[in-house]
Amino acid sequence: MASTTILETVEDSSRSLPFREEIDEHRGHPGIRATTFSYGQINDDMLEMLEKPHPSYFLLVLGFLSALLLGAVSLAIQVDVGIGNSGISHPIAWGFYITDFVFWIGIGHAGTLISAVFYLTRAPWRTAIYRSAEAMTVFAVLTAGLFPLLHTGRPWLAYWLIPYPNERYLWVNFKSPLAWDVFAVTTYMSVSIMFFLLGLVPDMAILRDEAKRRGKILQAKIYAIFAMSWRGTNHQWIHFMRGYLIFAGLATPLVFSVHSIVSWDFAMASIPGWHTTIFAPYFVAGAIFSGLAMVMTVLIPVRVVFRLEDYISNHVINKVCQVILFTSMIVGYAYATEFFIAWYSGSPYERAVFYFRPFGHMATWSLTGDQPVSFPLLAFYLMIFCNVIAPIPLWRKKVRNNLVAVWIICGLINVGMWFERFNIVGSSLQRDFHPYNWGEYWPTLVEVGITIGSFGFFFTLFALFMKALPPMAIMELKEAAEPPMRKGHHEH
Amino acid sequence: MSTKFSGVWGTFEYLDDTTEAIEELRKKGVEPTVLSPCPRHEIDHALGEPQSPLPFISLFFGAIGCTIGYSLPAWTASDWVLPVGGKPVVAITPFTVIGFEMTILHAAIFTLLGLTILIIIESLKNPIPKAAREYLRFQRDRFGIVVRCEASQYQLYEDLLKKYQAEEVYVEKG
Repeated sequence: MASTTILETVEDSSRSLPFREEIDEHRGHPGIRATTFSYGQINDDMLEMLEKPHPSYFLLVLGFLSALLLGAVSLAIQVDVGIGNSGISHPIAWGFYITDFVFWIGIGHAGTLISAVFYLTRAPWRTAIYRSAEAMTVFAVLTAGLFPLLHTGRPWLAYWLIPYPNERYLWVNFKSPLAWDVFAVTTYMSVSIMFFLLGLVPDMAILRDEAKRRGKILQAKIYAIFAMSWRGTNHQWIHFMRGYLIFAGLATPLVFSVHSIVSWDFAMASIPGWHTTIFAPYFVAGAIFSGLAMVMTVLIPVRVVFRLEDYISNHVINKVCQVILFTSMIVGYAYATEFFIAWYSGSPYERAVFYFRPFGHMATWSLTGDQPVSFPLLAFYLMIFCNVIAPIPLWRKKVRNNLVAVWIICGLINVGMWFERFNIVGSSLQRDFHPYNWGEYWPTLVEVGITIGSFGFFFTLFALFMKALPPMAIMELKEAAEPPMRKGHHEH
Repeated sequence: MSTKFSGVWGTFEYLDDTTEAIEELRKKGVEPTVLSPCPRHEIDHALGEPQSPLPFISLFFGAIGCTIGYSLPAWTASDWVLPVGGKPVVAITPFTVIGFEMTILHAAIFTLLGLTILIIIESLKNPIPKAAREYLRFQRDRFGIVVRCEASQYQLYEDLLKKYQAEEVYVEKG
């Protein structure tokens, strides 16, 4: 291999001016300076993140816990009083809870995409962010899983969703998309958790030995339990790496299947606005879109707080932004296609629903008394603005390198994607075939409280994760880094 | 199986020293155990590209999961027949979703179990000395080579490891 060096511009936000840095093509991955660090330095940097947190961390966790508490109180009221306490009623049987469910399942897609799909496609920039994204997947799917149970109204009977032998010969209906959903979500949750825990084992061994080295015996003993006697022998690595590859191979179709199956909850129904074949790819693209936006929403502050410019570099953020931009275009195209097909189908019901979404006067919400605001209309225009228009600046590299701009855009995408889910769930049920069957939906405070609580649940878990477990895969960072060689560079 | 270890082990700072020592050991007919802070393809190459049987375990249990995924809905649909809307009682297309999910779930669970069992078996077959297990820098920045051998070969392998710049070499006399 030629021994030339390449020049690459790396903009470092911690400095006032961009600087040009020489990156040897043999040493690490271009754009991720951490891959030029020694193995020991990578260990030290990661351990530093697990040190005693700054008091502001506790304040942040307290804020998340307050949201969680609000959710818990709302949940208690909902379960105690019953589903009648929500705004869900005929004809809108699916409201905030199913919106939240679809939203959180979507958020959960980025982790598996980054950890499995980009692993198989050998995208080196995933290394620094995949562990956090994977943790987000696990927490988002756990959050999502609560909503269908809650939505049933009697969550203590949730086991009825599982096919188990009973004296009444009563089996679940396997031809129903709702039964498919139970299988899809539980499989996704199980595989995501296993994949996450599997990747953690070598890192827990690192933490165990580093804790011992530093004389922290109690910590070492706790980490040793999770390290499961890992020593890093070639026999362990060979099975581990093969297992990891198999898991990536198994998780990859799951990324695409789970949200396809969630979309069929809608598409299998004959309701106008739902009964369309575009839903599966449309939902999957939207899930990846929202998931990656959430990854950026969370990891940009993490990068700033922990000074991780060498790990979560601008190069990495650029790559994520490019995928966000690509999926934004797919989502925008899907919105346009929905309208075109509604018109082209000639079905008056389809046309009506797609007329009502942008122009219809559905439920009104009066903030000021005289000027009612249509909530579904608001949802529609927020969806278009946040998901299609707001990401357009990401075409410019300058914007992609601006952390504040990326963070704001990703925040808007999170908002837009929640409203997209509401737009799908709510508006079609409000206006189905027969005007006699039309109705309105208003969320109650309990539903709003539970929705806020779900964000509290997700962010509390993530904040605890950041301080309890290595937020980056130490083993993979080392694998991507230049190994110590006596005779110079190694051949990639 | 005796777990009492007899042999030689050494630590290395550099990967190329480690791989050269492995190659030399393999030329002498020894299959060493190598410790490293992360997986390195150079080590696999020096060890002759060993393979894991794990994919066969995943495939086998994935196939079982697929069978369960199709047969459970088919059996339950036949157990109490509910003919609705002219749809077939045993409907392959909707059952494919369950078949797919069960394939993935079973393959994943048994990959994890298989991986754990294979690693336990390998650890029993290729024990490493307690001192090497407790050497804390293998998880940080050092490579290690463990050679299981008779007392008569201690000197030979100790010299070989030192020849390839081992930082520390230890003899474990059973």
